[in-house]
Amino acid sequence: MRAPAGVKVQFTGGQLQEVRRLQALYPDKRAALLPVLQLAQAAFGYISLEAEEYVAGLFDLSPAHVHEVVTFYTLFFREPKGRHVVSVCHNLTCHLLGARRVLAYLKERLGVEVGGTTPDGKVTLLSVECLCACEMAPMMQVDDRYEGHLTPELVDRILEGLG
Amino acid sequence: MPKLTIDGKEIEAPAGTNLIEAARRLGIEIPHYCYHPGLSIAGQCRLCMVEIGNNPRPQIACNIQVAEGMVVRTETAKVLATRQSIMEFHLINHPLDCPVCDQAGECWLQIYYMKHGLYEPRMMDEKVHKPKAVPLGPHVILDAERCILCSRCVRFCDEITGTGELGIFQRGDHSEIGLFPGRELSNPYSANVIDICPVGALTDRDFRFAVRVWYLETAKSICPGCSRGCNIEVHYNLRRPHHNQGRRVARLKPRYNREVNRWWICDAGRYGYKFVDDPSRLLLPARRADTQADEVVWEEIIPLVAARLSAYRPEEIGVLASPQMANEDLFLLRRLVDHLGIPNVDFRVPSRASGDEDRILIKADKNPNTRGAELIGLGPRPGGLDARGVLRAARERRIKCLWVLHHDLLLSAWPEEETREALRALDCLIFQGSNANGVSPSAHYVLPSATWVEREGTFANFEGRVQRFWKAVEPVGAALPDWEIIGRIGEALGMGPLPATAEAIFKALAAEVIAFRGLSYRELRDAGKPVASS
Repeated sequence: MRAPAGVKVQFTGGQLQEVRRLQALYPDKRAALLPVLQLAQAAFGYISLEAEEYVAGLFDLSPAHVHEVVTFYTLFFREPKGRHVVSVCHNLTCHLLGARRVLAYLKERLGVEVGGTTPDGKVTLLSVECLCACEMAPMMQVDDRYEGHLTPELVDRILEGLG
Repeated sequence: MPKLTIDGKEIEAPAGTNLIEAARRLGIEIPHYCYHPGLSIAGQCRLCMVEIGNNPRPQIACNIQVAEGMVVRTETAKVLATRQSIMEFHLINHPLDCPVCDQAGECWLQIYYMKHGLYEPRMMDEKVHKPKAVPLGPHVILDAERCILCSRCVRFCDEITGTGELGIFQRGDHSEIGLFPGRELSNPYSANVIDICPVGALTDRDFRFAVRVWYLETAKSICPGCSRGCNIEVHYNLRRPHHNQGRRVARLKPRYNREVNRWWICDAGRYGYKFVDDPSRLLLPARRADTQADEVVWEEIIPLVAARLSAYRPEEIGVLASPQMANEDLFLLRRLVDHLGIPNVDFRVPSRASGDEDRILIKADKNPNTRGAELIGLGPRPGGLDARGVLRAARERRIKCLWVLHHDLLLSAWPEEETREALRALDCLIFQGSNANGVSPSAHYVLPSATWVEREGTFANFEGRVQRFWKAVEPVGAALPDWEIIGRIGEALGMGPLPATAEAIFKALAAEVIAFRGLSYRELRDAGKPVASS
């Protein structure tokens, strides 16, 4: 879900309604900051500084306090990311079962380093700590789903299946 | 009130008191970094661990309130071992650059490490590196590597100024204090974060590298920057006169006064002392005839000024006292004015720039002693002219002699050309003040005053709180306290011997001016006392 260049940092009426619904769930509306930032990332593709200031305004918070939250969590993207995010586990079990080879293969196939995005904006490649799926090691997360028992052939098929 | 025991000593403390404050009352210091009595509790630094009753593990004293029958121990083997571990954690990524750090000598990392340090470091890994020497705003500079993430500065900006500029970004050992990108720390109280930073992370751009803090000496004082009268300390350097380009006053720091400013001062007040060691200081008395100015000694100029003051009819003389002056100065001046019967006396000169004011400390009246001048009575006598009337009368040559104390009339709200015309028309212009200004170059007699840090005295703030300030450094050149100049002139005018110390003058003032009745100079102590009428 890459936002088109120059996307306006402004929620639609429906999104704003969702922000208000989330804020009303908690005694202190600040508690809704995380889900609203997720909403912002979905809507704008990534959390720019402009988006942080925009969200801060929705919470009567100073932008510095939104920046604290965004920089704390690794799943908030502060730069434009690809339409798909591929996160390869490099923790113990996956490592023992060949995660290094999987990662090397992905880097070669995609032509990017860890943290990079393919020039067509399709895939961002990450290397992450344990995703709690050692039973399917070596594994990776592709957007919202887990892919395990990875082999080069399986990686090829997964990449080909991405839109 | 709950009664509890701390280190074997019994104490009663009001419900709600935390253990750090309760221990402080017993003279027991529980080491801490993040706790500050003026800010919310963060529980961030973990250094204030104490043992409570039979609880299995030490707990943080800052966030536990006194309770009936509580038994607190602050120096057990377990507590000491905990402190040592916490200190070790705090120093894991600390650069240990004390020799080049401006905080050295007043750094709580140093102070607590002396007592609770491990002394044999176990860290072998490369330290995490972070931004260094980053200016955050006009006054504050950040070294993120020295920061222990206590969050006092963040809480100050959230809770005291409500400006929220600072945050703690990233996480784990990469956490660092910072500003939202593109913003700056420029609120009117920004430099207080330097005072509350327990380490060398936030230092003062104005003070840093000027003088090592162990060369500084301290005098209690009152900020003369506005009518709030914030309590301050003057930190001055006499032991290393070659440092800081010879400037003696190195910095001002807030001094706690629950009734006035609590722990804080504004930036304008903090950096408003530069006139003290400025080249514009008037060093010697001077008399001027035509364009020629001659520097003279006090013994010569006092009789001359006294003679001029007696040479005119009282209605031909104007006296413009200043709310920058202390009560002692104003009281002697009032006596002198009454002795001569001068009706044209005032102290109110509206300034051109309208003063800013907020709901924290800053007052629009930029004078420390307007209330004192009002109470002592430096306004026009019946039938006398106010300040503006005096200048108008001077233009019309009805006022022939004008004695201006401190005011720069050319910076007043009145049209500059009219003021110049008034000054030119005078037969005799006497200027008394600490620094050259728009008036002093055209004065026939220049009387150099000591600044407030070069003498003692009292100011009454906007609420009528009379507060003492103490002498820090000697007056420059031949400058004298205003009360002494006025007293010498008064004696030359035949007023007889006048009280010759600030304390003696205050005693006479308290005996004569109703609002000050019952006040004693000594008993004002550090925190001051309100005048009777308020």
